[in-house]
Amino acid sequence: MNANNSKARTWPRGTRRSVVLWSLLLAISATAVASLTARALAQTAAAGAVSAAPAPSAPVLASTMAHSCAACHGTNGQLGDESFAPLAGMPAGQFVKTMTDFREGRRPATLMGHVAKGFSDEDLKGMGEFFAAQTALGNAAGAQR
Amino acid sequence: MNPTHDTSRRDWLTQALGLLSVAAAPSLAFANNAAHIVIVGGGVGGATAAKYLKLFNPQLRVTVIEKNPVYVRPYGSSEVLNQHVKMDDLNVNYDTLKSRYGIEFVFDTVTGLDPQARVISTLGKKKIGYDRLIVSPGIQLTYNAYAGYSEAVANQSVPSGWIPGQQTALLAKQLQGMRQGGTFVLAAPPNPYRCPPGPYERAALMTEWFAKHNPTAKVIIVDPKDSFVTDETMMLGWNRLYNFNLPDDYVKKMSAEVELIQHSKPSMLSWVRGKDGGRTLKIDAKNMRIETEGETIKADVINVIPPMKAGQVAMTLGLADSSGFCPVERRTFASTLVPNVYVIGDASIADAMPKSGFSANTQAKVVARAIVEELAGKTAPEPLWENTCYALAGKDYGLFVADVFKIQADGKIGRINGKARYLPLNATPAQIKLGARYQQAWLRTFTADCFA
Repeated sequence: MNANNSKARTWPRGTRRSVVLWSLLLAISATAVASLTARALAQTAAAGAVSAAPAPSAPVLASTMAHSCAACHGTNGQLGDESFAPLAGMPAGQFVKTMTDFREGRRPATLMGHVAKGFSDEDLKGMGEFFAAQTALGNAAGAQR
Repeated sequence: MNPTHDTSRRDWLTQALGLLSVAAAPSLAFANNAAHIVIVGGGVGGATAAKYLKLFNPQLRVTVIEKNPVYVRPYGSSEVLNQHVKMDDLNVNYDTLKSRYGIEFVFDTVTGLDPQARVISTLGKKKIGYDRLIVSPGIQLTYNAYAGYSEAVANQSVPSGWIPGQQTALLAKQLQGMRQGGTFVLAAPPNPYRCPPGPYERAALMTEWFAKHNPTAKVIIVDPKDSFVTDETMMLGWNRLYNFNLPDDYVKKMSAEVELIQHSKPSMLSWVRGKDGGRTLKIDAKNMRIETEGETIKADVINVIPPMKAGQVAMTLGLADSSGFCPVERRTFASTLVPNVYVIGDASIADAMPKSGFSANTQAKVVARAIVEELAGKTAPEPLWENTCYALAGKDYGLFVADVFKIQADGKIGRINGKARYLPLNATPAQIKLGARYQQAWLRTFTADCFA
């Protein structure tokens, strides 16, 4: 197990470059998503035909679902200069595609893959419309928050 | 959904008083749009409820009754111990909730409740009428669960610090000043308790700190439980960072999915489970000994995280049952014991939802919506809640649990987002490091969603 040991001891080091890559990958940039989705797809063996959406259950208001995002993504999706994606003002289609990709394992994630599995296509559409209708924070307001 | 409004607080009062002179009975004076919602407890649950009530209906009058003029956040407070932040960094003020949303604050202690007249009374001899009451009292620590332990002992020599404050500062001082090669024992609590990964994160952060500042120190977790939330991913981190060998049953469970290192060198960190005698029985503060079912350990620093129950005010107001927590209707978090009262956060019985700040935050929003709808003569909409707990196995090693909840067919709250809750065992180093960065970001974004 010596080889393993030495490998493991250096394990936390030398990750800066990959963190940058991952940040890019997980950032909101639509172009980054588009260009890297193919790669993510290739990496994900589990991306099969069966959807990871939850079983049908009682419908929930889009606003109720959207407010459950706020602890990380800001009240009403309005977020200043933080590590998470601001959702306010995001085009609904982009929100739905991003969340669907998270849910189906097509897009690498820390925990968003797990969270996205709680929402059906219909849910995501409603949340997407909710966030698209919110005003994004400007830079000045962002700095203030 | 614009959170700001033009009306100043003075205008509010005028408006409210105008309505008062028109309406007859005081408790119904603020019917519908101008109802008065009183919130007991200005922590995560109470603050979020106050803010979202105002977002959902700016006409409401919202008053928070809170003991302390400044909130000391418990989430992330173990980072005082490893010198990542200072005590003052835990302070959160109520200024924005007052100025931006027009929420009123009364700094006082609640002493009683008249549910018929809908009046709260306080130690400061105030009588405060309400249309709906939200109680978000958090937890209290049952120090006397262990022989030899008490709040006085905790304040003086064997701190808990699970509710942050002076005990946190004391514990930080003890840990940072511990003699070289000393032993730190952390007594983990039985279920249910606030912040399920928290005790293990605390032990991990101190192991990391000791490795740098006190490399011959020992960290021993004594635990009445045999498992804990995030156990596999947390201990995988310990295996990689602190030479920690996982218990055999975990090795068996996990080794198909991830390569575990078999360390020959003993780890600074050990975990004594309930089945191995880890349950705490007695604290001997004078001799700095902790007695468990399996052994008596002579320690240099002992941190006891005692069993918990609903905050005292929940008991005072008759909202808790024999379990020590508060039964609620799942759909609205309305108390099943007292009408027109809602209980949220750690104090409530919420089935599969953990006792976490995130849970309290989403419960608060669901309650705020339910109250606004019910006051308008409508039924409360179908609820949905989330929970995300980030935790650290080291300052650059982030892990998490992520849940989405709804009411299930049996009427209880259950998870709906698939089987996986945790960081995958095969997560890349980059995902793990990102988890740690996100944990730090979350402390800020979460505080803003609750308090700003």
